[in-house]
Amino acid sequence: MVQRVDHSFKAMGGPARFRMEVDDVGLADVAVTAAVAEVERLERKYSRYLDDSLTSRINLAAGTGQVVTIDAETAGLLHYATTVWRESGGLFDLTSGVLRRAWDFRSGRLPEQSEIDAILPLVGWDKVEWDERGVCLPIEGMELDFGGCVKEYAADSAAAQLQRSGVQCALVDLAGDMAAAGAPLQGAGWPIGIRHPRARDSAAATVILPRGGLASSGDYERCMEIDGVRYGHILNPTTGWPVGGLVAVSVLAEQCLVAGSAASVAMLKPAPQGLEWLGGLGLPWLAIDRDLQCHGNLLEAGSD
Amino acid sequence: MTVKTAVAGLVLVLLCGCETVQPWERGLLAKKDMQWTPNIMDARLRSQIYASKEASSGGAGAAGGGCGCN
Amino acid sequence: MATNKNDRNPALMALTSSALLLPAYQGAQADAPPEFAEAGMQYSKYKEDDITAKKAFGFTDSTRQRFDIDVAQFHLLAPVLDDWSVAVDVAWEDMSGASPWFVGESASGDPKVIMSGASIEDNRTEVSVTTRYYFDRGNSGLSLTYSDEDDYESKAAAFDGAFNSADGMTTYSGAISYSDDHIDPTQGAVPTNTTSASKDIYSAWAGVTRIVSKRAIVRFGLSYTYRDGFLTDPYKFRDSRPNERKEWVASGGYRRYFEEQNSALHVDYRYFNDDWDVQSHTLDVAWVWDYSPAVTYTPFIRYYTQHEAEFFNNLAQQDQRYFSDDYRLSAFGAFSYGLRASRKIQNWEVSVDAERYRTDESWGVFSGEESPGLVDFWRYGIGLNYIFK
Repeated sequence: MVQRVDHSFKAMGGPARFRMEVDDVGLADVAVTAAVAEVERLERKYSRYLDDSLTSRINLAAGTGQVVTIDAETAGLLHYATTVWRESGGLFDLTSGVLRRAWDFRSGRLPEQSEIDAILPLVGWDKVEWDERGVCLPIEGMELDFGGCVKEYAADSAAAQLQRSGVQCALVDLAGDMAAAGAPLQGAGWPIGIRHPRARDSAAATVILPRGGLASSGDYERCMEIDGVRYGHILNPTTGWPVGGLVAVSVLAEQCLVAGSAASVAMLKPAPQGLEWLGGLGLPWLAIDRDLQCHGNLLEAGSD
Repeated sequence: MTVKTAVAGLVLVLLCGCETVQPWERGLLAKKDMQWTPNIMDARLRSQIYASKEASSGGAGAAGGGCGCN
Repeated sequence: MATNKNDRNPALMALTSSALLLPAYQGAQADAPPEFAEAGMQYSKYKEDDITAKKAFGFTDSTRQRFDIDVAQFHLLAPVLDDWSVAVDVAWEDMSGASPWFVGESASGDPKVIMSGASIEDNRTEVSVTTRYYFDRGNSGLSLTYSDEDDYESKAAAFDGAFNSADGMTTYSGAISYSDDHIDPTQGAVPTNTTSASKDIYSAWAGVTRIVSKRAIVRFGLSYTYRDGFLTDPYKFRDSRPNERKEWVASGGYRRYFEEQNSALHVDYRYFNDDWDVQSHTLDVAWVWDYSPAVTYTPFIRYYTQHEAEFFNNLAQQDQRYFSDDYRLSAFGAFSYGLRASRKIQNWEVSVDAERYRTDESWGVFSGEESPGLVDFWRYGIGLNYIFK
């Protein structure tokens, strides 16, 4: 008898959930343990909040000239980040996180241009020195932040781990980043509600995820409103100012990682260019602009 | 039908375009259900039984050894 | 995924191909040894229907009994070192029963079989070991097989290789094999037409596998087999066959996955042709249905039809150089159908299967004399597999 098993836990700073259909609950337990361990492994390795993570060690060594040794997985992520950086025309940048020092979205205060100007020299993927064996941040104060891709990668990796452990139908949900390994028996795929950008708990739409990944990016997560102008947390790495493009983007792809990057890049572009980028990729997508208009083909696109 | 017709058919099918399927799109093809021989023991037994009751054998890769059954 | 038309968008291609270098996506892409070792056992019962009184001489049921075989199989596949795997296959067979000895003419003029009597008892043991090496673009295997029974011994070696094209869309495969066989017929039950003989079998095979779409894959193969030596059935009274046989086989296979049904369609076709004037068509169709993540049902149907050998006659023409009344060389058609069901329980998989095989001259596409010796049989099996993970 096939049973539905859900497992909720906290990981990567948010709620995480595995949804599975299994024949044997004992097998699910073993699989869940292995997949949770995989998510935790990636969190320990790449979280910038943990002092002993690889990311913290790289950031701590910034400006010292010290090259921090990396493994193949990290080199793979850096290589991937380079590709996204190039394809986005430099908008997607793992070093742009330092701009947070100027922007405090809880303060309700805009930063001075001089504060931003002081930080901008620390931003720029092309300044990072790295190869397959090691990475070095040349300027003191520079920071790498894998936040823009590790959660998506972890969702894919956890889904792959569940499948390797024998779970054929599983959906991994890491705070909105989804990866499906096999569709459930009933229906064409996993039904997923996509949140409305201005209403916290209501779903804007439901999409069916047959397999692969779905990632969403939105500026509703952290923002402030000053004199009627919304300042979202998505910052342009060259100007240091919020982009002011699309409000929310969801993309479906074979990998959650690719879906996530496609959505992030769309958010980093001005709205018209963001929509153009999404349309050109050929992936199912949904975008909501500042006037709360919906764009994209995600809602018509089911499984082909 | 002759062997020549079969070969001609083979060449035809191989020449006419198959859509390019990228490595990351080959998940379904990699499923166990899609293998040429999903169950080795079953395939061995069946091919041996058929070969011992019919005048034909082989054609599915390397030939195995003979047995006294035919 | 939903849209294919823009699959070649350069940005998406760049993102996807660099993502796939990451460890999480290194699944079943390159040729790699199996991840886990697996072992399996299967027990099968093969039982031929009794020959009907209309088709055989004899007065009691026992004289109409045909073959029963009990088969136990063992399979082990294990990864070794980084790039190798070893597979061991063992089969034990316990055979008993009778087979047609010769065909005679009844009082009414119909051909009828004279059975050899329930006297044949034989055991066969076959051991096959295959080592396989995996490299970036393919794999290559060497297998040695030894089969031994009371009256027959076979030693065979086969070498095969598979190479993938740079884009992985096409796989080219090839195989060669050689078998050295000896026959020492058991004396006693029926007179035999040799006391000791041997034959050599040489075979070569080439195949091409091609990905057709995300859901379908197709394969073509051609093979040639040359048999040289004593090819006559030693236990048949009226049997004398040429000392060589050249066989050609063309085959095609197709696999397609249906996501809505969680099923895979398997279609295999084979055309066989030899210089004894035998030719045959074989069509095998199976539907592998994943009823649930743990339960799989595989119904299958097979059709076979063959043209008779040029020297086949029900009443063997013993004045000719070659002659045989062996039903296996007659023209006939055969339908078989069956079902396999398997269930996974953690690392175990239990399977049961049954198959019914029926023959009739009128089912064939080639006409010929109907042999009274045509065989129908049942096969049942139960198997157990274990994955070491």
